Amino acid sequence: MKDLVKEFTKGIIKENPTFVLALGLCPTLAVSVSVINGIGMGAAATFVLLGSSVIISLVRNFIPGKIRIPCFIVIIATFVTITELCLKAYSPVLNRALGIYVPLIVVNCIVLGRAEAFACKNNLWRSFFDGLGMGVGFTLALILISAIREFLGSGQILGRTLIKGFEPVFVFGMPSGALLVIGLLLGFFNLLKNRRS
Amino acid sequence: MKDMARYGFILAVICVAAAGLLAAVNALTGPKIIAAAQAEEQAALKEVMPLAGKFMPVKSPADNTTLYYKAFDNQDKLIGFVFKASGKGYSSVIETLAGVFLDDKISAIKVISLNETPGLGMRVAENKFTGQFNQQDSLNLSGVEAITGATISSRAVIDSVIKKAQEIKEMVKNDK
Repeated sequence: MKDLVKEFTKGIIKENPTFVLALGLCPTLAVSVSVINGIGMGAAATFVLLGSSVIISLVRNFIPGKIRIPCFIVIIATFVTITELCLKAYSPVLNRALGIYVPLIVVNCIVLGRAEAFACKNNLWRSFFDGLGMGVGFTLALILISAIREFLGSGQILGRTLIKGFEPVFVFGMPSGALLVIGLLLGFFNLLKNRRS
Repeated sequence: MKDMARYGFILAVICVAAAGLLAAVNALTGPKIIAAAQAEEQAALKEVMPLAGKFMPVKSPADNTTLYYKAFDNQDKLIGFVFKASGKGYSSVIETLAGVFLDDKISAIKVISLNETPGLGMRVAENKFTGQFNQQDSLNLSGVEAITGATISSRAVIDSVIKKAQEIKEMVKNDK
């Protein structure tokens, strides 16, 4: 049990996909304009991670090593398509906001990375918690980045103006601003890590 | 050779399972997606033409695409038209839905699809800009001011609405 908790929490802090593994930065740069987009993208990616990790760990002994990558991609793509169809059917507004980035979860390196590095070597429950932890870590990272960007770029959080008279800095609403924020956060978290050790 | 056949078989099994799952999900969500799209369309039409109670699409005889919508009030009287205009903005094609009364005055417009610079061009979708269109003459729109720093995006909306309004006026005239 303790082991499973560790698999879950490592994705959030010690091996955070965005800040430590630096995986899946492309959708992070593009989607983190507003907190609601960040939450939506994070939830969608978590679902895909969870689903593909579970299925891949279940069939891991059945798939020969030589063709594992195409098999993983088929499984991941299936979950992405399910996510996309469900988003379209139940939340067209969010679907429009996330746009092309939902189908692009297929090539998100976090998902394939966890399939390759973890799910194909570990049993069902460990993979389940690993996928969940990575998904939650990705979501939290997205929320943090998008909160900073939404506040600096448009003076709002979740569409609500926080400080009256705050003049937004446009660059933070653009991909270049996302690079700046992610870079500074990466540096900040590394600084914390180095201090501790 | 034997290995190759085995790999092919395993991949095929996985693909068939994936396809079956997707077919099931598609069957479940398909009708909902269509319904959501229709509800969204009706809501958008209603938003730019609040006075209307019913909309009827006018289809092109050539390829069956919707050219524009006729808007009727609750007494089934024609009160205007709703059309979709699109123009090239700064970094995307901006699509605008516009409602126009029979006297060419605009009821309201709504920007439905765009991908412009956040904080600049994206602001053409905001009420502050689109609200200026209300009650303007759709054929010249001289009272609409472009957003500072987003002239290209603003002009794309204004010009595309004028152009389409003229086209629709021609079409309606020929119709009669």
